[in-house]
Order: sequence, then structure tokens, then C-alpha cells
Amino acid sequence: MFKKVLIANRGEISIRVTRTLRELGVTSVAVYSDADRNGLHVMLADEAYHIGPPASAQSYLNIEKILDVAKKSGAEAIHPGYGFLSESPVFAKAVKDAGLTFIGPTVENILAMGDKLASRDLMKKAGVPIVPGSDGAIADADHAVKEAARIGYPVILKASAGGGGKGIRVVHDPKELPSAFRACQSEGKNFFKDDRVFIERFIQNPKHIEVQVFGDTHGNVCHLYERECSMQRRHQKLIEECPSVSVPPEVRERMGQVAVTAAKSIQYVGAGTIEFIFDNKTKEFFFMEMNTRLQVEHPVTEFVTGFDLVKEQITVALGQPLSFKQSDVKQNGHAIELRICAEDPVTFTPNPGKIRKYRMPAGPFVRLDNCAYPGYEVPIYYDPMIAKLIVWGADRKECIQRLQRALAEYMLTGIKSNIVLHKNLLMHPVFLDGSYTTQFIDQQIAGKKHRELFMFVDDKVFLISAAIEAYIQSKSRDVGDYNLASNWKKQGRLKSMRSV
Amino acid sequence: MYFEAESEGLKYQVSVSESKSHWRVGMREEDKDWEYFEIRKEDYSFFDDTVSFLFKDSSYLLDVLNKGTEYTVYTRGVFKTFKVYNEEALLHESLKAGGGMGGGLNLSSGMPGKIVKIFVKPGDEVKAGDPLLIMEAMKMENEMRAASDVKIKEVLVKEGENVESGAELVTFEKKK
Repeated sequence: MFKKVLIANRGEISIRVTRTLRELGVTSVAVYSDADRNGLHVMLADEAYHIGPPASAQSYLNIEKILDVAKKSGAEAIHPGYGFLSESPVFAKAVKDAGLTFIGPTVENILAMGDKLASRDLMKKAGVPIVPGSDGAIADADHAVKEAARIGYPVILKASAGGGGKGIRVVHDPKELPSAFRACQSEGKNFFKDDRVFIERFIQNPKHIEVQVFGDTHGNVCHLYERECSMQRRHQKLIEECPSVSVPPEVRERMGQVAVTAAKSIQYVGAGTIEFIFDNKTKEFFFMEMNTRLQVEHPVTEFVTGFDLVKEQITVALGQPLSFKQSDVKQNGHAIELRICAEDPVTFTPNPGKIRKYRMPAGPFVRLDNCAYPGYEVPIYYDPMIAKLIVWGADRKECIQRLQRALAEYMLTGIKSNIVLHKNLLMHPVFLDGSYTTQFIDQQIAGKKHRELFMFVDDKVFLISAAIEAYIQSKSRDVGDYNLASNWKKQGRLKSMRSV
Repeated sequence: MYFEAESEGLKYQVSVSESKSHWRVGMREEDKDWEYFEIRKEDYSFFDDTVSFLFKDSSYLLDVLNKGTEYTVYTRGVFKTFKVYNEEALLHESLKAGGGMGGGLNLSSGMPGKIVKIFVKPGDEVKAGDPLLIMEAMKMENEMRAASDVKIKEVLVKEGENVESGAELVTFEKKK
């Protein structure tokens, strides 16, 4: 076992890794920027080193500085967490070149999956399904009609350089195709100076479903089943669950096998995730990309499978074989994770600032991976996620009820948070029946009034409390500012006397 | 004690008085009738610096944040901000700030962040919805726009400058 491991990250994931290290008797080394001296990850680690100013580029992304600290502290290995340097092949190589162990995949693994287009080609060759589409650019309208017939309707036309809603057309009927093709082509030319247009199957009820995989240095690869992450806002995940109610058992088995095939095709080592776009109408799934790191939402898999994924990452990094075989991996019960963010629940605008009161949920089968505390100032420089609430239940219904219970216990004041958004989502029929897609929040929740989400409180409570508080303030002011106020009163009285 | 209160465009009259054992809070939304609430003091109690409020048999754990005349109530994951003031409170605030209550004649930052880009200069006349500046907070750029047609008086920040929450960024001319 390692004696000492450095965690090149911050926030809850740094704490998550520290926890497993401590359980294994390994000394943990945290790093922090100027903005994170007050970070809980600094206080919970065995050792902590300053690595630079708040801006990530000069601290958490500063490879040289992090390697310096690793050397100085005598760490033998580096865990990158997620985000920051976790998928940087340059960092993984630099760690290796410095004679240290990178707790993650090989440099080759990261490179193979780093380029989205190249990785798709690689996966296609390995027999992994990808979204059906044209191999190259479409020559003309006739060609578009032919390709669309082969791919199957509805199709989406995409200008090669398109984005922001421009140069994109969804076509349901062959009759609309020629004009849509010409529109895309001219938008591509006018807005992006590139008139190449591609054609792809349009997934009507898209869900984001991913499969956790794990490989070791002995050529073993297992999958740990799926996570559904379709509940997203601004293309960022908000709720993740395992298992997905949308995936039938036989599709689940096939997704697992395909994920193992994909990982094996690049001799994958460590924890990784194969992301699929899942058509909830046809139950087809297609490879999107592979994340070559531990995911934010790994705890739902931990709850349902019973494995400590960080521990497994460490033993794999030490060269040991996986501690389990595929037949040992079972889905037991249901787990859901909610990402708790310092942001407005309606506009999703980040709301950094100082937390006043903070009471965390606890009780049976509740896990909170958290980095906040009362009086903690959420810094403006990093991701607004301050905690992940993960709950296990014997089935989905029990899990959701338990989540609602846990949210009712959660108190966070002083800054806005999305706790109340989660309360609403957990009651929504489209979440309850599991039919939600990646567009659900944008289409049905975003833009609602705060008032609509705030049904959990009798509106009178607010004004009564504000009024009592204002009264108390006013009374305390009468005592404290006696002279100040009385001077003004005096002036006022003098003035009124003069005007008489 | 008498107050006026405002939240989300609604105006209220509020009266608060206390006896040894009770709070008596009256409220009147504009154009509606007065409503009175007798609240036993033991039902609105401070424990561990947090208020436990038992209201109509519901148990609320709440926290009230006071900044000047603004009172933000947080409970059950929900929050609401009121402006609560009377003459005394306004006087006190103006003494503290060294100026009048003004209001509506400036743009201030809603959160701490960094000014990325400024689109206006003093003397510019802008229409409601026109961008004034872009502020970056937590890795996101937020465009701040004019709420109404105004003329720019002063721009108090520079591009690249870090600002605190509530800092004054741009001031506008008084409307005629």
C-alpha cells in the first residue's frame, strides 16, 4: 500500500478521497489555493500545502506546482479527482515521469478517448453502436434524401461548424428535407464560413445513460451497471440514479457488455464511464463519449453495488487485479444522488457568498458528500456545487421518499441554493414515472416563477418573521444609536419650530 | 411599531407589537384588509441562533438575514426578501450610508465577481434591455442590462476589476 497520496483537487471530491485513504491507513495530502484556505478539504486531510492564487490556471491546473508539492511532501501517488487535471494526458505523463503513480487510467487511455471524433471512430471499429449518420459531408439535396432514408427519420441536419441553434434542422418528413438542407448549408456558409452539412438520426426522447466500467493492469474489465443522468440543466447533471427505470433488463445486459467491449478495445485501466445517448422510444443506445476518470455521481454506483470505487482505484493503481469478477457485481436496491449547488433554483445563476446556518441531513441510508459548513464562504472561482446528497432505498419509491425526508432536514441559509428545486423535481410526475429526458428541466421547469416552486411554506411566515426581526432591530437601534437618532430628532423639532 | 414592506412588487403595511407572552403582527397587502396574527413568544423562539417558528401547527426552522432595510427569510429550502422600513429605519440607513435612499438610480452587483466588459460610458443614453456590462462570477459570464430607458451618469468600475457583492457599478441620471 502507498504510505502517502496527494489529492490534486478541492471540495467534496478531495474529502471523498481523503476518507478512503484514511480508512486504508494512508496519509493524505491536500492542496489549496488562496481562495480555499478555509476549505473543509484542507481541514480534513492529514497534510495541506498551498499551491497558488485563486485562479485555477495558477493553482489546481498548475502541474509544476502540484508536482513540487508531491515531491516536498513525499507523496508516492496522485489522485486527480474529477475536473481540473483528471483527464489531462500531459499531467498523467508528468506524474509518471516524476516517478510517481497516477491513480487513474494510462496516458494512452486518456489520449484515445480525449478526442471526441477520433474516439467515436475507434468505437465504431470495435463494434460499439454510434448514432447512425452520414460518413462525410452531404453533397446535395438528393444525396441528403438518400442518406436520410438509410439512417431513418427523424433526422437532424448539422452544419459542420454550427452551434448556438444556427445551422441545425430537425426533419421528420422527406418532403421537408431539400429546403432544410439548403437552409443549413447557407447558414453554415453565412455564419461559420463552412457550408459542409452532416446528417444524423435525431433521438426523440433522449436520455443520458452511462455505464461504469473498471479495468485493471491484468486485462480484466468489468462493468458496474448503469446510471441514469438525464435530469440536467444547462447541460450539467443535477440528479443521477441507479438503476434506470427506462432500461429493460435485456438492454441493461447488452449495455454492460458493450461498455466492457469498448473499454477492453483500448486496454482500459481504472475507473471509467461510457456515456450513451438512449432513445427512450426505441430503447436503442449509442456511444457518445468515454470519461476517463472517477465521476461526480460515482456514489450511486457505490450504494447499489457495495464497492468502494476509490479504494478499487487505489488497489488497481498498485497493480493488483480487480477485487471482484463480473458475476460478483449485482444491483441491489436503488440509489439517487442530488447535486446541491449554491445557485438560484429558477435561473440557475450561481450565488456564491457566506453560508449562515447549515444543518445537514442524516439518518438511515443517507450519505452527504459535502464541503460546506456554517460560516463557510462559497468562493466565486470554482464550481457552485457544495454537496451531493445520496440516498439508498430498497426500491425506487422508498429511495425517493427517503430523499424527500432528507431534504426536509436540510437547512442552508444565507445564500440561495437549489434545494427547493430538488424538492419540486422529486414530486414531479415526469420524474416519478421515470420518463424524463435531458430536455425536461429546460422545457418544463426553467423560467417558472419562484413563487411556483415555493409551495412548501405558508407565505405569511415570511412577512411575519421579517416583521418581528425588523421590530427587534428597531428596538436595539433605539438603545445603541440613542445620541445619533436623538440629534436628528432634535434637528427636526428645531426645524418645525422655526417654521411655526 | 409600524412598518411598510415590499417584496416582488407587492406593498404591505405591517404593525408589530409585543406583550410579555405574545407577538401581535398585523399585515395589510395593498387594497386588501388588515389581517392580524397573535403569536405566542414560545412559538417563535431562538434556539442555537436559529428561529423555531410554530405557525398554524407547522414547524418552521428559519433564519432571517438583515442587511440595511432588507430582510431575507430562509426556511425549508425557500427564501424571500422583503424591504421592511419605517421613518426611523430609513433615517438610520441614510445616516449610515451618508446619503439618501435614492433607489433605482444605480446598478449594483448582485454577487461578488469580476467585471469582464463594459459597454457604456458616461453620457450614453440606453434603452431598457440594452447591455451595460458583463460580470464574471463562478466561471460564468452574466450580462447586466438596463432596466429602463436611462442616461448614464458615471461608470464606477473598470474592465478587469474585482467587485464585492452590492458594489455600485454604474449610476444613472435622474429622470425628468
